Amino acid sequence: MSSTSQKHKDFVAEPMGEKPVNALAGIGEVLGKRLEEKGFDKAYVVLGQFLVLKKDEELFRDWLKDTCGANVKQQGDCFGCLKEWCDAFL
Amino acid sequence: MPLLEDPARLSKSRLKSDLLAHNVALPPANSRKDVYVELHLKHIEQKDAAEFSSDEEDRGQDEAEDEVVDGDDPGGRDPSALTDDGLKAALIQHGVKVGPIVASTRAVYEKKLRKLLESGGHDEQVNGEEGNAVLYSDSEDEEGSKGAKGEGDEHSEHSQQDMSQNNNFAYPQCFILSSKLRAPASETRKPCPAKNPKNALKSSERGPCHCSRIPAGISRASSVNQRSGLGSRVPNGLQPAKSIGCSSGSSQAFSITQMVEEMESRRSVSDTESNGSDVQELRSQPSRLLTVDQPAVKNQTLFYTPEAFPVKPGPKPPVEPVNGVSKDIFPAQASPTGIYATRRRPIKGAAGRPVQYVFPDTPSSPATLERREAERRLVPIHIQILVFLIVVILLYLVYVVVEDSSLDSAMSLLDSPNQASDVEEFHAPEAPAFSEQE
Repeated sequence: MSSTSQKHKDFVAEPMGEKPVNALAGIGEVLGKRLEEKGFDKAYVVLGQFLVLKKDEELFRDWLKDTCGANVKQQGDCFGCLKEWCDAFL
Repeated sequence: MPLLEDPARLSKSRLKSDLLAHNVALPPANSRKDVYVELHLKHIEQKDAAEFSSDEEDRGQDEAEDEVVDGDDPGGRDPSALTDDGLKAALIQHGVKVGPIVASTRAVYEKKLRKLLESGGHDEQVNGEEGNAVLYSDSEDEEGSKGAKGEGDEHSEHSQQDMSQNNNFAYPQCFILSSKLRAPASETRKPCPAKNPKNALKSSERGPCHCSRIPAGISRASSVNQRSGLGSRVPNGLQPAKSIGCSSGSSQAFSITQMVEEMESRRSVSDTESNGSDVQELRSQPSRLLTVDQPAVKNQTLFYTPEAFPVKPGPKPPVEPVNGVSKDIFPAQASPTGIYATRRRPIKGAAGRPVQYVFPDTPSSPATLERREAERRLVPIHIQILVFLIVVILLYLVYVVVEDSSLDSAMSLLDSPNQASDVEEFHAPEAPAFSEQE
């Protein structure tokens, strides 16, 4: 990703702690709500899914699309943000 | 089976048992009904769409309580019918790296496997039919005109060899390139006894001969390429009849009996090769799901029996080697996804062009360019020297003239600055005076 959003930078800058799911880059209010309905209320739950899919981009994108209907850009933002967070903090 | 029922109307316990019957991982115990309905829709409806045999489902329902369906035949069934382990095995066979398959990831992996199966099945179908239309007349024409008799055994041997190489993905990649390079030179040669590029693989000295065919028939070869690639692999699959169907494109070019012999021998060989046979097995699996289409393919293959074409003398599988190239370029993507259709085009365009254009271009790169520039400079340099001499002569003449009249001119030159300075000195004091006056 050539440029990253402010949200991305904020998320990647620190441990996610108890941040809500819509703190993830690419996850706005609508997608955040859908994810919460499915039980992914915290960012770390999505991180768990991301990890259990072995950080595989394709699978994660598919999952995100199925779960909350994220479009390609949102998938990419969310994936990139989690990936970078993992690179920094795992 | 509640195939036609709306899952939303079923009771929660019914949904649960249905899901269990289809071996779907149940959501957490306290989940809402929506979750069950969703799972039901996702797994069971899709399974129905895949035309699963009703026997299977009945049995599954009978054995609802114990999750009996085991992964003995992974990939041959609809993904949602597999256990976690079966699903994992099937995905691994497709060359997918599988993580843990748990409730939250299972859907993703099922979708992936389904995609793989669909693309694989679609690929085979398209190829098998395409092959009948495209390749058949071509190969027959060639055989009729050339009549490469007596090379039959040799060919079958080589084709077998080629196919086994394809299975191992150990195809020499440089083949096409070198053949194309040589093609222009060898076009004037006698028509090669074996026109099919397949044979070109086997030995380099025969290369030019076959290569001369490639530029002419390159489009045909590459179009057939994809299908014959499938054909070469499928024979190791589960169903011999099916494999004949898939490889009908290449088998039409020569006698089916020999093809079958090859297949049998190959099967024995490659049963030991787990890598190759895994892929092959999986490739044949999607076709089992597409039960409707399969008979059509079979019928086609039955039609092309040796009796139907008794005239064909020698087996000349036409386009095997080109196929190997595509596999070689993408060796890692051995998975039977639909990628083959898209792969092929880049090869035709990209692999073709560089060879044609690079060769003439190479001589005129760096060294020759420098030489040419030097040459370009050389001619001007003569003129430059001439001009230089003329200028020197002129200067010398001027010098001589100046020396003749040196005293006068020099004095005048010397005088003029002095005069100028005098004038300046003369005027200089005046300026302040003017300013003072003002």
